[in-house]
Amino acid sequence: MSYAIEVHNLTKIYPSSGLEEGFLAVDQINFTVKQGEIFGFLGPNGAGKSTTQRMLTTLLTPTEGQIQVLGHDLAQDSYPAKRQIGLVPEESNIYTELTAWDNLMFTGRLYLMSKTDRTARAEELLKDFGLWDKKDVKAENFSKGMKRRLSIAMAIIHKPALLFLDEPTPGLDVQSARTIRTLIRQLSAEGTTVFMSTHQIEEANQLCDRVAIINHGKIAAIDTPEKLKQTFQQVQSVEIAFTLSAEGLEEKLTTLPEVSTVLKIGDKWRLYTDSPPDLLPYLMKFSEKENLDIVSLNTLAPSLEDVFLQITGQQVGSVSEESSQQKADIRRKKGKQ
Amino acid sequence: MKNFWTRIVDELSQAWIVTLKDIKVYYLRPGMIMFGFLMPFFMFFSFSVRREMAAGEGMSRLLALTIFFTAAAAGPFIIPTERRLGTYDRLLAAPMSLLTLLLGKIAVGAFFAIVVSSLAAIVGFLFLGASIAQPALMIGGIIIGSFTFSTMGLIFGSIPTRNPGDVQMPSTLIRWVLLFVSGVFVPLAEMSTVARGISYLSPLTYAQDLMNHAVLGTGELALWLNLSVLFLSGILFLLPSIKLHKRGRVLGY
Repeated sequence: MSYAIEVHNLTKIYPSSGLEEGFLAVDQINFTVKQGEIFGFLGPNGAGKSTTQRMLTTLLTPTEGQIQVLGHDLAQDSYPAKRQIGLVPEESNIYTELTAWDNLMFTGRLYLMSKTDRTARAEELLKDFGLWDKKDVKAENFSKGMKRRLSIAMAIIHKPALLFLDEPTPGLDVQSARTIRTLIRQLSAEGTTVFMSTHQIEEANQLCDRVAIINHGKIAAIDTPEKLKQTFQQVQSVEIAFTLSAEGLEEKLTTLPEVSTVLKIGDKWRLYTDSPPDLLPYLMKFSEKENLDIVSLNTLAPSLEDVFLQITGQQVGSVSEESSQQKADIRRKKGKQ
Repeated sequence: MKNFWTRIVDELSQAWIVTLKDIKVYYLRPGMIMFGFLMPFFMFFSFSVRREMAAGEGMSRLLALTIFFTAAAAGPFIIPTERRLGTYDRLLAAPMSLLTLLLGKIAVGAFFAIVVSSLAAIVGFLFLGASIAQPALMIGGIIIGSFTFSTMGLIFGSIPTRNPGDVQMPSTLIRWVLLFVSGVFVPLAEMSTVARGISYLSPLTYAQDLMNHAVLGTGELALWLNLSVLFLSGILFLLPSIKLHKRGRVLGY
C-alpha cells in the first residue's frame, strides 16, 4: 500500500514566550493517509488540527517526529513534496489587489507551469468554478464564496497529487458549499488525495473515506465514518415531535426509563438511549398520559457528530481548554529534551 | 549537474515572479508611499531649509537618503502585511527555497529605491542644477546601495509577527539613528573622532561617501572600501533574516 502521508510520533510544542508557558499542541500522533482517499481531520477548536496541517505543509517546524509526504521526508528535502501539494487555508489567501486571472497566473508561474499549460488550466478552472465572467475583476470585489472558489482554483492549478483543505466551507452560502463538496469528490475521483481539516462533522461524514478525531493534541479515534458509528452504539437515539409543548417536558422526558440524555433540537426532542426498541413503549405511554399527540417519531443510529461529541466530551465548535494533564505532558516532554 | 542548473534557473524565475507580484500589489499602497517615497524627501527638505549647501552636495545627500529609506521600507511593510493576510503562507508552501523567496522580496525594495532615487537624481539635476561627476558610478552606487538596504529592511520584515506596526516602530527608530550617525547631515570631515568612529559602523556612511564620489567627484573614504562594505553588508544582512524566518516556523508565524 502506498501512502500519500505517513506521520510518526509527530509532536509540536509551541515555545514559551514571556510569562506564557509552552503549549503542547500536538502530542506524539501517528497516522497514514492512503493515496487517492479523502481523509477528514476532525476536532474541536484548539485541538491541534491546524497545527498538524501546518506541519504537513512545511509551514511549521515539528518539535519531534517524522513526516513523509508522497514518499518524501519533509525534514530531509521538502522540495519534491512541495511541488505536488496544494494548500487551501482557512482564510482565503488570495491577492485581492489582483484580478482572478492574475492570481491564477501568478500561482501557475510559481509552480513553474508553462504559459500554455497555465493559461489553458486557468481558463478551465475559472469556467468550472463559475468565475470566467469575472476573470478581469479585482478579487477585492468578490463575495466570500467567490474568494473561496478562487483560493481553491489557485491551490489546484498545478494539478497537485495531494490537496490540503482547512475548513473548506464554513461561512459559505449553500450553493458555494455544494460546489466545493462536488469539486472535492471530483478531485478524489481523478486520483487526488484530499486531507481535509474541519469541524463540520456532517460534511466529513458525507465526503470522507476515513476520518481521524484529534482532541487535546492526541488522535482519539481513526477509522471510516460508518465503523466509528458502529463502535458507539450507546449513542443511538429516538427523535420525537409533539403537537404541543407541555411545561416541564424536558424534565419529564429525562425521567423516562432507558433515556440517558435529552436534547431539544428545533421542534423535536432527541432522546439518547442504549436501546431504542425498549424505549418506544415507554414513550407511547408517556404521550397518552400527558395527552400529547405525536407528529413524528424516528429511531436514529449514532451520527458522526454523536461519535465526535462522545469522544471529545464537548459541544462542537467550543474552545477546548488546556487540561492539567496537558500541562503535565509539556513538563514531561521538556524534561526529555 | 543539469538538474542543478535547471533548479537554479527555476528558483531565479520564481524570485522574479514574487518581485513582479509585489510590485503590482504593493508599490502604490499608502504604507509604501509614506515610508518609502515621501519620508526621504520630507527629511531632506526639513534638514536643508535655510542651510548653505552646494547643489551637488544636496543631490548627493538626497540620493543617499532615498536609497536608504526607500529600499529599507519594503521588507518591514510587505512581509508582516502578507503574514496578516495569510498570503505569505502561499509563498512559504510553494516549491522554492527560503533564499529564493527572500531574494524576490529584496528585489522589490531595491527596485523601488532605484526608481525613487532616479527621481531624486532628476530633481537634483533639473531643479538643483547639480552636475554629476561620475554618472556610471552613480548608477552602480544606487543599484548596490538599494540592494544592501533592502536586505537590511528584510531583517525587520522577518521578525515573527503579523502586525506591520510591531515592525515599523523599531525599523523606523533604527533607520533614524543610522541617519544621524552616518555623515548624511554632518559630513564625515566635520565629525569628532568618536563620532567618526561610530559612523564607520553604519553602512549608510559608505553609501553617502559613494554618492559623494559619484556626484561631487570626491569622498572621504576609498571608493573600493565603500563598494566592498556595501556589498558585504548586503550579504551579512541576509543571515539574520534567514534565522528569523526559521524561528518564525518554530513559533508558528
